[in-house]
Amino acid sequence: MKQMIEDIEVRAREELFININPIQAAGRLTPEAMKAIIAYGDGYSTCDWCKKPFRLDKIRRPPINEFHLELAKFVGMDQARVFPGARRGFQAVVSSLVEKGDSVIVSSLAHYTEFLAVEDAGGIVKEIPLNKENVITEENTAQKIEKVKRETGKLPKLIMMDHFDYMLGNEHNINGIAKVAKYYDIPFLANCAYSMGVMPINGREMGADFLVGSGHKSFASPAPSGILATTAEWADKVFRTTQMVGDVTGRKFGIKEVEMMGCTLMGANLIAMMASFPRVRERVKHWDDEVKKSNYFIDEFLKIEGNKVLSEMPRKHTLTKVDTTGSFDKIARTHKRRGFFFSDELKKRRIVGEFQGATRQWKLNTYGLTWDQVKYLAQTLHDIAKKYGINVA
Amino acid sequence: MTEKAVEETFVALFALTDLRQIFRDAKPTYQFNSEQKKQIREIIEKLRKSLNVIEKELIK
Repeated sequence: MKQMIEDIEVRAREELFININPIQAAGRLTPEAMKAIIAYGDGYSTCDWCKKPFRLDKIRRPPINEFHLELAKFVGMDQARVFPGARRGFQAVVSSLVEKGDSVIVSSLAHYTEFLAVEDAGGIVKEIPLNKENVITEENTAQKIEKVKRETGKLPKLIMMDHFDYMLGNEHNINGIAKVAKYYDIPFLANCAYSMGVMPINGREMGADFLVGSGHKSFASPAPSGILATTAEWADKVFRTTQMVGDVTGRKFGIKEVEMMGCTLMGANLIAMMASFPRVRERVKHWDDEVKKSNYFIDEFLKIEGNKVLSEMPRKHTLTKVDTTGSFDKIARTHKRRGFFFSDELKKRRIVGEFQGATRQWKLNTYGLTWDQVKYLAQTLHDIAKKYGINVA
Repeated sequence: MTEKAVEETFVALFALTDLRQIFRDAKPTYQFNSEQKKQIREIIEKLRKSLNVIEKELIK
C-alpha cells in the first residue's frame, strides 16, 4: 500500500481484509462519518457558527445541539454529553461523586480506565467477584456492598458495572445490579462501551443513573469519542458549571461545564459521530442478526477438534474469547514460525485482527461482517485446520 | 477558480468514499452483486462529471 505522506502508510485494512480485531469492529466508520472527516478535519471546524452562550452542545449549525438532545432520547436518559472516550465519561462521574478514601465498586472484569478514574479521584476500587459462569450477579454485588460497609464503616460512593465486558463479551445482569444499587441508595453507572450503538439501550429501563458509551468502540465513530448520559436528578451535579472567578481580572466563564473542561469533543470526531448517528439508530434494530452471525461462526469454530469457547454460551454478543490450545497451538509448538504460522495463514486468506502470534487464548469480533464474510471466515478456519491435519467435524 | 470547482471536488471525494464502502462490503472476494455493480457504475459516472466540471472551471 502506498505511503500517504512520508512514513505514514495508507490504512486500507478495512477495504482489503476481513478484520476480526475484538475492539475495532463496531467503531468502523460509516461512509457518512468518513465524509464528515473529509469536510470537518480542520481543528476548530465546529466553531464556525458558535454563538452565545459559547458552548459546544449549544451550537445549532451544524446541529450539535439537536444531536445532544436526540442522543439522550436514544439511550433513554434526560441529558447527554459527548466526551473524548468512555474513559472521560467515567472520570467525569467519579470526579463529581468520589472523594479521597471513598470506595467504588466495579466488576472483576472492569476496564482499566475505570480503575484509573477512581485512582485519579483518590478513591479505592473494590471488585465484585465473578460467579462460575464468569458473570457478575446481583447477589455478589450485594455481598460486596455489605463487605465494604463492614470493613470501612461506609457504603461505597458509586457502583460501575459493565453491561458487556471487554474480556469475554459476557452479559452482566445490569438491571438486577441496578436494583441492588437502588436498594442501598448508591449511584449506579452502567458501562455500555460494548452495547450502546450496537444494540437497543434504555438507561431508564436499566435503572441506571449514568450511562457511558464509546464512540470508537460501538458508535461507528473515530477515536477518541464517547458519550455520558444521565438523569435530570444527576445532571446538575455531573454537568455543573464553573463558579470560579479570577482574582485579578474578575473573569468568570459561567456557562462552561467543569467536568467537560468546557467544550469536549470538538471538530471532526463529533461531526463524524453525528454523521453516523442515523445508521447507528437503524443498526441497533438488527442486533439479533449480529448475534445470529456470531453464534453461527462459533458453531463452525467448535467443529474444529480441540477448539473451545471461553465466553458464555450461546453467545449474546459478537465479541468472543476463544481457546485454540487444543488445536492451532499444537501446530505452533513445532512450527518454525511458532504462533505466527496461524497469523500467516489467516493473512494469506485476507483475514487480520487476531492477536498476532497467539494460538492459545484470543478474542475476535464478528460485528458488522456480512453473512458472506462470516461464512468465509468460518470456512477459512476449517481450511487452515484441515491443512495441518486437525479434524473438522 | 470558482465555488463550483470546490463543490465538485467534495462531490468526487464523497463518491470515492462510497466506493470505499463497497470495497468494505465486498472484501475479501470482491464478488460484486448486481446492486453493487450498479452503484459502482453510478459512482464512476458521478466522478467523471465532477472531474469534467473541475477541468472546465480550472484549466480550460
